[in-house]
Amino acid sequence: RVSGTQVKDVVIKPDAPSSLLLDKHADYIAAYGSKKDDYEYTLSEYLRMSGIYWGLTVMDLMGQLPRMNRQEITDFIKACQHECGGISASIGHDPHLLYTLSAVQILCLYDSVSVIDVDKVVEYVKGLQQEDGSFAGDKWGEIDTRFSFCAVATLALLGKMDTINVDKAVEFVLSCMNFDGGFGCRPGSESHAGQIYCCTGFLSLTGQLHQVNADLLGWWLCERQLPSGGLNGRPEKLPDVCYSWWVLASLKIIGRIHWIDKAKLSSFILACQDEETGGFADRPGDMVDPFHTLFGVAGLSLLGDEQIKPVNPVLCMPEDVLQRIGLQPDLLT
Amino acid sequence: MTSSGAPKMAESGEEVDVLVQRVVKDITNAFKRNPNIDEIGLIPCPEARYNRSPIVLVENKLGVESWCVKFLLPYVHNKLLLYRQRKHWLEREALVDITCTLLLLNPDFTTAWNVRKELLQCGVLNPEKDLYLGKLALTKFPKSPETWIHRRWVLQQILRQCSALGRSRKQQGEAGQGDAERSQQLSDHLARTLHQEMKVCSDAACRYPSNYNAWSHRIWVLQHMAKGNVKVFHDELSSMRLWVSMHVSDHSGFHYRQFLLKELITELSQAPASTTISTSSPQHRPSNNPHHQGHLQANGEMSGAEGVCEEERQPGFTVVLQLFHDEMELCTDLIQSFPGHETLWCHRRHVFYLWHHWRREHQHHHCTSNGGTESVNLNSTDPGLAKASERGCEGRGDSVNGQLHATDAMEVDAVSLPDPRDTKRLKRGILSPCPPALPSEHSFVSGVLDSCNSPEQRRFARAYKKWLDTVIGQQP
Repeated sequence: RVSGTQVKDVVIKPDAPSSLLLDKHADYIAAYGSKKDDYEYTLSEYLRMSGIYWGLTVMDLMGQLPRMNRQEITDFIKACQHECGGISASIGHDPHLLYTLSAVQILCLYDSVSVIDVDKVVEYVKGLQQEDGSFAGDKWGEIDTRFSFCAVATLALLGKMDTINVDKAVEFVLSCMNFDGGFGCRPGSESHAGQIYCCTGFLSLTGQLHQVNADLLGWWLCERQLPSGGLNGRPEKLPDVCYSWWVLASLKIIGRIHWIDKAKLSSFILACQDEETGGFADRPGDMVDPFHTLFGVAGLSLLGDEQIKPVNPVLCMPEDVLQRIGLQPDLLT
Repeated sequence: MTSSGAPKMAESGEEVDVLVQRVVKDITNAFKRNPNIDEIGLIPCPEARYNRSPIVLVENKLGVESWCVKFLLPYVHNKLLLYRQRKHWLEREALVDITCTLLLLNPDFTTAWNVRKELLQCGVLNPEKDLYLGKLALTKFPKSPETWIHRRWVLQQILRQCSALGRSRKQQGEAGQGDAERSQQLSDHLARTLHQEMKVCSDAACRYPSNYNAWSHRIWVLQHMAKGNVKVFHDELSSMRLWVSMHVSDHSGFHYRQFLLKELITELSQAPASTTISTSSPQHRPSNNPHHQGHLQANGEMSGAEGVCEEERQPGFTVVLQLFHDEMELCTDLIQSFPGHETLWCHRRHVFYLWHHWRREHQHHHCTSNGGTESVNLNSTDPGLAKASERGCEGRGDSVNGQLHATDAMEVDAVSLPDPRDTKRLKRGILSPCPPALPSEHSFVSGVLDSCNSPEQRRFARAYKKWLDTVIGQQP
């Protein structure tokens, strides 16, 4: 092993995109769903419902939601609800909390939650809570703080938070807090920006943000910013557009977004656009996908870009949608 | 199905079906022919060669020629989904083969793992087979979250089976030799499973740096299969030492060490202080925690911490001091040998934080019984320990004031770093360990800032100093 240091970061080329190519991104997402016999499309079917949520949310943030086929999508979601109430990623797949949340988020964008059996969704979520307050992702019992977030986000969007044991749920999430102020997937697990987003979002939705050590966590989150301006999810990892969102949203939730260099982050995110195809990649020059496209656009919205609708940092949905529902998750100041 | 770029033989849908069924069978036969396949991979090959199977077995490596994947995956994918929608019946054997092919190509297909869970529950598959399939999938997809999730489910089945077996034997009243033998077999079986699991985690950690899923799985395994087993935790800590030294950027690997250290310290500190005077080797004292019974039992000696004074009244505490000392020494070595690694500085923060809190807790505990002036080790006559405890009190004085004064650090600089001769004597077991202290940490930072030109190293050193001042210094 060579003892010299190589900083794990990217260099942004001078000719990298520096302005937001909204039309290109809208075309990219609109075309994405039409390649259904594509091999890649088969490969990612196991997460289809989340894929649709990413695509529709970014279209809505860009004011382009009417371009998507509403009827087809709500029919699809209906067909994905199972007898137990849970919703699957696609037809023929098994139900899971991850896709139940995505489906509810999509239906909120379309203001049509009633196309599914809401009471059964609530029963499904409630049934996955464990004795220690944690949530299993599905009936097979895997535990993860991500699923705690999925559970309360689903219930908050449906206005049914009171159906679970919130105190116990909070207790479990807090047991996953680490010495650096961050959170991991289970008690004792390493802090991870994605898990931190889930846990701060969870504490926001349950009104428990005062339990976070905001200065300590804010410090750790700020240390994710690299010289390129991009943010990574853990020490010595490469910067990534999706981590830029998770870190930035967490900072916004705990009221410390002004602690990072916003201009540099903005230029990193813009450099991840593909000028030809539209869409965002994880890093400059890589292949684009709908996932990074949503988090790129949502990140720019949180950074104050006025061409994009304001995004809610907790639920990653347009603020106007949440206003319509009457949901205003807490943020620290 | 598209036919662009496809070989001529697979133009029609019917021909594709025949081809793919043959390939699935070839994969099944390859596993039958060689049960020791230890790695899977894709062989870049845009065109099919006539009359040759795309499945290639060389020694213990199973390869799939890339041209066939775009036929193979959609076929097995759709077959399984049709079965799941009860539109197409599949025999159990066919389900086993199809999910195997599907998961080796796309291991995050959750529903396919769920089908295998059901096959396992009705006895068609055995747990070891599925652990093996997961292990192979991880050779190509070392992060695959669904593969790790499935492993945890399978391991839980094994644990449940074992505890059910143990219970039913007790109820049947089987006595004497046979009973002991069988419970030994169970315990051996669990120990083997645990060992294999550690190996799977190591392999995946080597294949993908800072592999969150691999390391958090490893933690889960210890929490569920070795809870309270000081020997296992200590062996892990010892074997990880070389690994982290060769992976100084791997924050997840270092976090695992922090986890081990924290668990060991908790276990060692739980032991009753007065009842252990006569134990010959304090390190492997069984835990007094009742829920540890029924888990794998520690046997044998702990390595790496020889020479701890037998008459010491707080043997667990001495081992704890030794652990902290060794860890900080390792961290110092690595920071100096590999400048500019954020991971190493994060590790230092965590270890110091653990030490700081352990010391405060145990000082507090002791203060209530002997007047608040002595720290844990003052009943020892050992000069090294007296020195350590003296520093402990200094540190405590700092934090009582609410903040650290720079002058405090200056005053104690002279005693803040262990004498290298002490370290040598320490290794021979003559002198007891010197744990870290705030002043020694400040002088470590000053040393780095004085001697190192790497801008990253200097940035991390300054951040560490700021962390000491604000996070540690301002704690009540």
